[in-house]
Amino acid sequence: MAAVVGHCINIESKLGVPTVPLIISEFYEQVKTHHTIQKGMPGLRVTYLVSPVWGKKAEQIRKDIVSKSPVSGKMVMQEIVENLTKPLTAEEKKTGTIEQSSGPATFTDTPDNLQRIFLENRMTDYMPIILPTEEKVAEMLKGTSHDPDEVVGKMAAHTAMPGENNVEVFEHWSYTVKTVAINAVMAGAKPEYLPVILAIASTGKEAISVSDNSFTEGLIINGPIRDEIGLNYGIGALGPFSQANSTIGRAWNLLSINAGNCGRVGTTYMGVIGNPMNWNDVIIAENEEDSPWQPFHVRRGFKPSDSVVTLCEGWGILSAKNSKYSVWEREMNFSGTLKKIVNDQDMLFGAMAVLSPPVANYIKEEGFETVEELEKFLAPPMEGRSGPPKAKIPFGFRPQINIVVTGGSNNNYWSYGGMAPRQSVLIDNWR
Amino acid sequence: MKRHISITLIALLFLGLFYIYPGFKTPIQAQGQPGEQKITVLSPRGQPPPIQLKQMAPRLDSLNRKTVYLVNDGYLGTDILLGEMQAWFKANMPEVTTIYKMKGGMGGFTAEDPALWAEIKEKADAVIMGMGH
Repeated sequence: MAAVVGHCINIESKLGVPTVPLIISEFYEQVKTHHTIQKGMPGLRVTYLVSPVWGKKAEQIRKDIVSKSPVSGKMVMQEIVENLTKPLTAEEKKTGTIEQSSGPATFTDTPDNLQRIFLENRMTDYMPIILPTEEKVAEMLKGTSHDPDEVVGKMAAHTAMPGENNVEVFEHWSYTVKTVAINAVMAGAKPEYLPVILAIASTGKEAISVSDNSFTEGLIINGPIRDEIGLNYGIGALGPFSQANSTIGRAWNLLSINAGNCGRVGTTYMGVIGNPMNWNDVIIAENEEDSPWQPFHVRRGFKPSDSVVTLCEGWGILSAKNSKYSVWEREMNFSGTLKKIVNDQDMLFGAMAVLSPPVANYIKEEGFETVEELEKFLAPPMEGRSGPPKAKIPFGFRPQINIVVTGGSNNNYWSYGGMAPRQSVLIDNWR
Repeated sequence: MKRHISITLIALLFLGLFYIYPGFKTPIQAQGQPGEQKITVLSPRGQPPPIQLKQMAPRLDSLNRKTVYLVNDGYLGTDILLGEMQAWFKANMPEVTTIYKMKGGMGGFTAEDPALWAEIKEKADAVIMGMGH
């Protein structure tokens, strides 16, 4: 929706051609109070339609376009003609610059009142926070050698940056090392986690996507940093069983809310169902020690001694026992089961398999000496998959399979999902 | 009886110690009663960019003998919607020329399509674009 607004504003302002963006009425508030203002054209003449359009037959849509718009009450086609021909008002002709503020730099009150102020102003994830006093933030900043005033990056509720290839969907807010440290304090992180959080922040990738798909984000963390900060990659690796696993994702979320203006329902968050993995994201510290293969970051070109965080996005991860293909047998054929499940995945984000060390070792014994060999074996054919054969790959993504090893060795379980790894960032640059 | 009294006294003594122990917040204090010490904390927010107001395009006197581009941004069902709008123009405003275009570019809805933008600049008098879903 925001993309249509962005394209139309560019056509109006750069090409001098009048436009009418068509948007479903559920987005009226978002468009009127946020997008058109933030993109610099509050008067953009939008025509709102009855939702949904997708899934309707031509006969239904034929009726809709000669019915009243749910926002203006005018007949849709009549309004479109009027939007293209009615002269601009003085208000619509305004140009200039509007400076924006994100509010006061400090807040002074009792601790309980501050908790309430932060919550009511949507500066939290609706859970209690550690209040970021100057002292606590100074302590957090000891976790990095970088200057507190250094600008780390820019973030928005959608990653598309303005440029030759994409229209900007949401405005990008900027933030410093100190801003990242403040959010890390609030999340309950320790100073030694700060380089990881700064590395994530440096990508500008939001933890809470605006998409109505209800995406979640994830991290794969490799290298010596795992033991240095106590990340859990043993039993319960994907769960809340260590301070580092529990707070790094939360810090990313809080940074996204506060420094990227993400997660505001109705404007910068539109996930239809929502995703419980958004609470803390999917945090995976790889169990490199018990894996039979090269670590994930080494396969991406880093040295084993590098500490690296890889950002992922997608639908999330769940147990492979959820699949009808996963059955208990006396003699398991893990690679065969894996192939069936991988081939059953939607191709938008490809497939990610999170294997426990025993499963990974079984698969190696089946003859897969490297992950590359396994991924080649698992590669889904373009035909015969679920969905239409030779279906067009949306958004230019390509099917991919990613294998990560983590967790305990106390049983043969594994998980899977649609999560696509994106950027890998060297944490060591942020120490 | 004596035993009951002793237990009660021990319990009261324990509770008393508990409540006067420095640093322990009583339920009353925890509700933020007057007298609770105020502290200063830092804002966690980033810096939003300034807004540059952009010039809207001048409107047309009428659509009579004008060319309107109907641009599909790629969302499901938009082809049907714009097709119906094209049919409406043909039936109700036959003097309007409508041209249906599918926006291209790699990256989905946000992708730029420089070739289409150039064509619109050269040939279009107006654009209707959908679908914001």
